[in-house]
Amino acid sequence: MALSETEKTVRDAGMNETPLIRLADVSKVYHLESGDFTALDHITLDIREGEFVALVGPSGSGKSTLMNQLGILDVPTTGELYMAGKNVAGMTILERTHMRRDMIGYVFQKFYLIPLLSAYENVEYPLILKHKKRDTTGKAEAVLNSVGIDKEMSLHRPSQLSGGEQQRVAIARALVNDPKILLCDEPTGNLDRKTGFQIMEILVGLHSEGKTVILVTHDPKIAEYAKRTITLEDGRIVAS
Amino acid sequence: MRDIFFDLSVRSVKLNFLRSLLASIGIVIGVVAISSMGMLGTNMQLQVKDQLSQGANTLVITSDAVRIGLQGSTPSASSSSSGITKTQLLKIKQSAGTDNKVIPLYRTSTEFTLRSVDGRSSIYGIAPGDVTSFLTIDNGTNIQWVNDALVGSSIASNFNLKIGDRIRIGKANGTESRPMVHIVGILKARGMTSDNVNTDNAIIVSRDWYTDHYGGVDQYSQVNVIVKNIDTLSEVKTAIDSKINTDPKTPVIRIQDASSRLSSITSTLGTMTTFILAIGGISLLVAATSIFNVMMMSVNERIQEIGILLSIGTERGEVRRMFLYEALILGILGGCVGGVCSLVIGYSVVSAMIGTTAYFFLPESIVYIPGGMLIGMVVCVISGLYPAWRASNMDPIDALRSE
Repeated sequence: MALSETEKTVRDAGMNETPLIRLADVSKVYHLESGDFTALDHITLDIREGEFVALVGPSGSGKSTLMNQLGILDVPTTGELYMAGKNVAGMTILERTHMRRDMIGYVFQKFYLIPLLSAYENVEYPLILKHKKRDTTGKAEAVLNSVGIDKEMSLHRPSQLSGGEQQRVAIARALVNDPKILLCDEPTGNLDRKTGFQIMEILVGLHSEGKTVILVTHDPKIAEYAKRTITLEDGRIVAS
Repeated sequence: MRDIFFDLSVRSVKLNFLRSLLASIGIVIGVVAISSMGMLGTNMQLQVKDQLSQGANTLVITSDAVRIGLQGSTPSASSSSSGITKTQLLKIKQSAGTDNKVIPLYRTSTEFTLRSVDGRSSIYGIAPGDVTSFLTIDNGTNIQWVNDALVGSSIASNFNLKIGDRIRIGKANGTESRPMVHIVGILKARGMTSDNVNTDNAIIVSRDWYTDHYGGVDQYSQVNVIVKNIDTLSEVKTAIDSKINTDPKTPVIRIQDASSRLSSITSTLGTMTTFILAIGGISLLVAATSIFNVMMMSVNERIQEIGILLSIGTERGEVRRMFLYEALILGILGGCVGGVCSLVIGYSVVSAMIGTTAYFFLPESIVYIPGGMLIGMVVCVISGLYPAWRASNMDPIDALRSE
């Protein structure tokens, strides 16, 4: 099967040992009525394929802004962001959308499942976006099984599932297109401690399979799961 | 297999079914208004066309000068007119040739009294020999004596006229004695005709009786030429025109054939149909506002969902499509229900207003139902354009933050 442009870029980046993600002197400034607010202040950072990184720091330190940059939901005000060797600033909105779809899997604190779709359909959805057709390969079901959601449960709407189950479905959705990067924004923030650790075990397992996992957390216990911790304060990296 | 975005739209409509239904009712009303009004106008046009085509082989010749007097006069009152003269009539007969029938006639309106009941109608003076050339006597006989008269079907039924009844012609003023005519026959209903002889609400007398009481001998109100071969209609018209209207700048007679009258009347009815369609269109405009409002509500309620869709790689065009599908679903819902209602209501309206549904199922009439449905759907989609555009252009970060 022919590789998409994004997939080729990712494969080439791996071969050249180029960092999967490179931030070169990235700043993000919000122009507010009260004046300019610098959320990210000259960040320079490389993340290689297969790393497990935790972004930690107090509220307002710039963790979420950095996650938005890494998830190419936003572009830097100054500086350059490279994803798999490709400068994000030079990409069109559609190219960025396709890169998000093919290369990045998102796991949010509030799960953010589509309420009108069943758990199975939520997982199938990224496959439909990519292949423009319904999943006939059984991949969505297999990924759901791998995170502990059985067929019967997969027919339920998100509102009919517990928080832990919803987060498992969200992880399955993030994984179904086999992304290189898994961005997890406080994935255990809305879960009880036990369920939170179960979710973290899933993420550790994915990392061991070769996924690049980037985790935002304010919980030191959760951050301990990562192999590398980046600490942010006032929009700057203070420890890496 | 259905498009996932269509599925999402269907589910969204189902989730807010009552709201969607109420918005669609506006479209239903709009479709019914447009379809019913359109069908009413078209049925009216078709009926008039049908009636007018009965006299399609007739040329109607009138004087081009302004007529003076006659209106509402009493018999014996002096009157003058500038109708078709004897000389002009002779030229018409010469130009028309022997194969074609030339019928000169007088016409005015009059009051009359029957068994102490006053009424008003047209009165025609026609040579008895010409009557049966274009009129049908339903009951009774043709005019034989000078005081004999025929009456139209409407006047006969409205006044319960019978053969043998006598009518006093002219306005009752208490001092002057009024002439009386003797009803010998009742004409068959003609409806609206293209030969400008509307006898349903008229009294037909002999030309001699007419000129005896109204004057204007050899000043005919109009002359009808019934052309034997309809293919020569235009030829005969040109021949008469060139014979009498020698100076094109100052024509002395006006010659109308069925086609020009037909096109003039259908054009008027067409304008009327367009006008009533426009009134129906206003209701669709109101419906469009309602659909727009519902779509904006749908977008505003689903901001976070839009943020999720955009952040996980949904293209902006796909988000736009999802909301346009939703608008289309409302349009299809409203259009289909509106189509069924239009069939029932349109049929009832046409039946009640025109008195016949003979033309209702003809293609030019029934086409207003799919036409109205299509317009309703297009209006819905147009109403959904801005909300869909707004949804697709949201910033995914802001949308995700929305509660």
